[in-house]
Amino acid sequence: MKVLRTLVQVLFLGGVVALLIRGLAGNTPNTCGTYCPFGGLVALYPLVRYKTYACALTELNVALLVSVLVLTIVSKKSFCAWVCPLGTLQEWLGKLGRKVFRGRFRLPGGVDRVLMNLRYVVLIAIPVLTFTVWKFDLGFRAYDPFYILFTWGGHETAAFSFYIVIGVLAAALFLPFFWCRYLCPMGAAMDPLSRAGALRVRRNSHICTDCGACDEACPHAIPVSRVDEVTARNCTNCLDCIEECPVEGALELSWFGK
Amino acid sequence: MKKALIIPLAVALVILLAFATMNAYRVPSADVSFVEEEDRPATVATVEYEVSGLKCRGMARTFARQIQDLPGAVSFIAYTRTHTAIVEYDPAVTDPDAIREAFERPIVHEGKSDEVFKMVSVKPE
Repeated sequence: MKVLRTLVQVLFLGGVVALLIRGLAGNTPNTCGTYCPFGGLVALYPLVRYKTYACALTELNVALLVSVLVLTIVSKKSFCAWVCPLGTLQEWLGKLGRKVFRGRFRLPGGVDRVLMNLRYVVLIAIPVLTFTVWKFDLGFRAYDPFYILFTWGGHETAAFSFYIVIGVLAAALFLPFFWCRYLCPMGAAMDPLSRAGALRVRRNSHICTDCGACDEACPHAIPVSRVDEVTARNCTNCLDCIEECPVEGALELSWFGK
Repeated sequence: MKKALIIPLAVALVILLAFATMNAYRVPSADVSFVEEEDRPATVATVEYEVSGLKCRGMARTFARQIQDLPGAVSFIAYTRTHTAIVEYDPAVTDPDAIREAFERPIVHEGKSDEVFKMVSVKPE
């Protein structure tokens, strides 16, 4: 399953890289932003209020947002672990960091929990700033590592934008999924639905040996060995816990934990 | 682990769903009428342009400004996803070539170099 997930990730990452190359060559007016589901969230206010789209947002952004939310209801944050190219880069850098530094660095629990709430601040700040300070322009693109990286400094970006990308990617080496865990507004938008996500990992406690291999494998530090079913908002159904479990059937994917 | 195959299948399905349903949310990025309703000509023709530079609402409005003073131009609608501009015009006064020429006039941004819209296609040809 790990191979299949990696193939799917490579497919989507390859897609945005191909789009970047075509864009730089002047062969397409589209950018990664054309296919960004978070754009759909920003598009909602002018769509409902003025029956139009802000800046470069289109119906495709809204349709992708709806689709990602449907996917989240079905399979938690699978979008993050299977599709999102920035999530893929963060994951690979985290693995590299783990090898290089021979371990995983974690912030203390309290600090980690407080910082995780920053995503909600970002989620609220972006639409508010877009419709006030930036006057319906997508000013957040100058701060968005996904857009900056995969347009290689597209419209709205500045020199400091690249420092943001470097900072986010460098941080992912030390703190796994730095962007996703602490700053990603799309992840924050998915949180409530992710908790209720139908397809989730179930632990069969009568077989489980409490070895903790699943806890160690989880890239989002979810204590899988201490729950009967994983309902954590951060679970991306990457299935690393099931892959690493040494006991056949102790962990399995289930519908609503049944 | 067979159940895990549901995840990539669900990913593929929701992406197909997005492309299949996106037109339900289709609204123009610009919708401008150059004449009052009572001044609309009796006969109006329509021409559709695909323009490489039509990437956002701002450019759609710039695009509209390019033809707002053109005699015979009636209305302008822009869709940025497909980079299309749909123009209604009075065929007795103007034609698609004249509208195209108006669109292709260089746009002067203060402090920036001139920009020219590049037409990709015109329908009907």
